Amino acid sequence: MEINIQKSSDVVLCAIIGEININNSPDLRKAFDKFISENEKKVVVDFSEVPYVDSSGLATLIEMFQRLKKIDGHLKLSHLDQKVKNIFEITKLNKLFEIYDLKEKAIEDFND
Amino acid sequence: MEILKILPSRLDIVPDFLSEIVSYLKQNQLEEQKIFEIKLCLEEALVNAIKHGNKLDEELSVSARIRIERNLVEIDVEDQGDGFDPKKLEDPTSEENLCKLGGRGVFLIKEQMDKVEFLDGGCRLKMIKFLKKENL
Repeated sequence: MEINIQKSSDVVLCAIIGEININNSPDLRKAFDKFISENEKKVVVDFSEVPYVDSSGLATLIEMFQRLKKIDGHLKLSHLDQKVKNIFEITKLNKLFEIYDLKEKAIEDFND
Repeated sequence: MEILKILPSRLDIVPDFLSEIVSYLKQNQLEEQKIFEIKLCLEEALVNAIKHGNKLDEELSVSARIRIERNLVEIDVEDQGDGFDPKKLEDPTSEENLCKLGGRGVFLIKEQMDKVEFLDGGCRLKMIKFLKKENL
């Protein structure tokens, strides 16, 4: 898994490349730790190149969601593959996360 | 086709084992959605067996048997731990549990597989995915 991070104005775009599983979800947590320590409050995670996510990946995202919420921040997810999106729907995590078809729209909503 | 592996209780071996099984599933020309679901359930079952069943004790092992037939894929995962009562698991989709970090593995297995059975006091999980609609 690769994590590419870009910042445009005050929005952090975190593009994940590869599957999120039990062995690499700690790497994702480390990237999130960095955002929190830098007091970033607007984070978009782009899933366009994530073909697979397991329950440990979901747990890492929930943890980030909660940590951002504590500092009055927000986490938005974009461009989920249909199979990955199904996992969010089955677990009803689509109710917890703001999920966008396009990262541009997620960033735009932060800027509005 | 049947694959039987005895695995050490180490989480780092899971991705390679999953890749091996996925390549067998691809050879058997399973559709992508079914491969995704089987891979996810096998991973969740192995992680539960290694982490919660055997409590990451490397002296203990996990056995995984995968049978691929024309109409179904049957998976049997067994650990050497103390077992658990699957009836005691909470619903991770209920509002009060939605923010909890754990508790989704067994739920995903039950949702994605067609038959799920816990045997031997919860130390053994047997699950089946049917590949043809008429078997459902």
